[in-house]
Amino acid sequence: MNCPRLKDWFGERYETAALKKFARGKVLPTHRYDLWYYTGGIILFLFALQFITGMLLALYYVPHAEFAHKSIIEIVTKLNMGWFFRSLHHWGAQLAILALFVHLFASLLLKSYRKPRELLWYSGFVLIGIAIFFGLSGYLLLWDERAFAAVRVATGGAGALPILGGFIKAFLRGGIDVTGETLTRFYAFHVAILPLMTILLMVLHVLLVQVHGMSVPLSLKDKTLPQEPFFPNVVYKDLAVWLVLLGIVVTLATLLPPEIGRKADPLAAPPEDIKPEWYFLFLFQTLKLFPGDIFGLNGETIAILLISLGILGLFILPLLDKKSSRGERSPLFTAIGICYLAYFLVMTLIGYLS
Amino acid sequence: MKLDYSLVTRRTFLNTLFGGWLLAFLAGSFLALFRFAFPTLGKEPDFVVLKPEDYDNIPVNSTKPFAWGGKLGLFFRKDEHTLVALKGVCTHMECNIVYRPEERKFYCPCHKGWFDENGKNIKGPPPKPLEFFDYYVEGEKLIVARKGVKVELPKA
Amino acid sequence: MKRVIFFLWASLLNVPFLWGQEKEKAIEVFPSTPYYQYIVYENLVIFWAAIIGLLIIIRMKLKEIERVQKLGLEDEENMASHK
Repeated sequence: MNCPRLKDWFGERYETAALKKFARGKVLPTHRYDLWYYTGGIILFLFALQFITGMLLALYYVPHAEFAHKSIIEIVTKLNMGWFFRSLHHWGAQLAILALFVHLFASLLLKSYRKPRELLWYSGFVLIGIAIFFGLSGYLLLWDERAFAAVRVATGGAGALPILGGFIKAFLRGGIDVTGETLTRFYAFHVAILPLMTILLMVLHVLLVQVHGMSVPLSLKDKTLPQEPFFPNVVYKDLAVWLVLLGIVVTLATLLPPEIGRKADPLAAPPEDIKPEWYFLFLFQTLKLFPGDIFGLNGETIAILLISLGILGLFILPLLDKKSSRGERSPLFTAIGICYLAYFLVMTLIGYLS
Repeated sequence: MKLDYSLVTRRTFLNTLFGGWLLAFLAGSFLALFRFAFPTLGKEPDFVVLKPEDYDNIPVNSTKPFAWGGKLGLFFRKDEHTLVALKGVCTHMECNIVYRPEERKFYCPCHKGWFDENGKNIKGPPPKPLEFFDYYVEGEKLIVARKGVKVELPKA
Repeated sequence: MKRVIFFLWASLLNVPFLWGQEKEKAIEVFPSTPYYQYIVYENLVIFWAAIIGLLIIIRMKLKEIERVQKLGLEDEENMASHK
């Protein structure tokens, strides 16, 4: 696995000394929390999988309101292993978003966001927003009843934001209502705009990780921890994790392929008991908590405002958590982090069961 | 039988095993990918089913197109008693041909190839004559088939 | 020469895996009949067998790397040049 001749070829043409020094020096600390270090690589792998399966599906999918649904049925019934790759794309997406939330809350509770890694937190936050929009835009491309209704609700919800809401809603929908224009727009987002933004931000994010190295939880700050070289040890461990992950995604894709509903009819009533994708459920349940009218103000607007504040608060957490930026233990913010996690889990669960 | 020395180092053994296995794994996975990416759709059919009424009244010395899979097919009424079916595709580079009634010849505009009314290539680059089909009416169906093909209609 | 033989032998180990992959040609439709379902499940098992094989090999490699790293760098270079 060494390929000395290949290395020499590059070495004779480019200054590889600095790169080699960096590679040899890249180490990871080992401690009781070091398993969480692998969450980032898992996301990278799953996104790569999504890019590949997505590109494959894009070879056959037709992004026009009239033909979209049919093209998916063609893919699933007529093409060699079409059902499998669509199923793989679906489950890859589910696991990628799950992995993203795991990564988010791990970084939150282990306080990797503290100084000097604030930019990692901010870029990561934007990345998760992009990923969720990936999920939403991809879901609409199905153009079946469920997807149509789900996007109508989601974009309508975005429209409830004060001042900006109207613009956001019109921008997302490409008009007043969810139409074929919305499909075209969401397709552009899903296959061109979002992938480019993701790649750029991910490059920044991963580069920052190389610059900063791995963060160590505050509780272990003063201990000298054994270091493990990234090349080759952690590379092999990453590979092992990714292989198991691939096995899991493939198994889920094979045994539980997703269904397709009936083609969307913009004039028809939405199907019964419609629920958004699981990663929106916590938002939904929150909306449901608020009555329609609170002291004469629109309950939904207030709910959306509060949610926005909550998310904003999470975004600027590195600014608020002064103690951890000084390197001190910050139990208040650990508690806040646990509250966020608990709220997310409980609301998602309630949303799922109701 | 115990060897005095090992044929390979541990390193070579492990690296070869790992590399070989990984290569096979990736090759198998990419094979699945390519099977999906390179479809086998769009093959030419062995026969097509048409409606007889559509091709009843073709004027003499003219053609009427029909769909041969994704390609052009032509019904050609040569004279009052002769109606033939042929593939309207030039044998040179597969452009669609047109019938020139004034000259009683088929013409391919891509490279100025000419075929006579029997489909024989008479001028220009086309290397072979045009392909003709058999056709017959079975009940309510007009069946156009490649010469020599046994047509089995599905029960549907 | 010995390396070539070894590589060929190692690759031959994977013939059943590749051969199993070929069967996937049969899956043209979402598997509805038991015949096709069987092929899908069989391929899934072969897939997992391949993954577990890879995991075992990776574990072997990791153990070897860690063993050598514990010994120290000079010994590592000595051992590698023994062949």
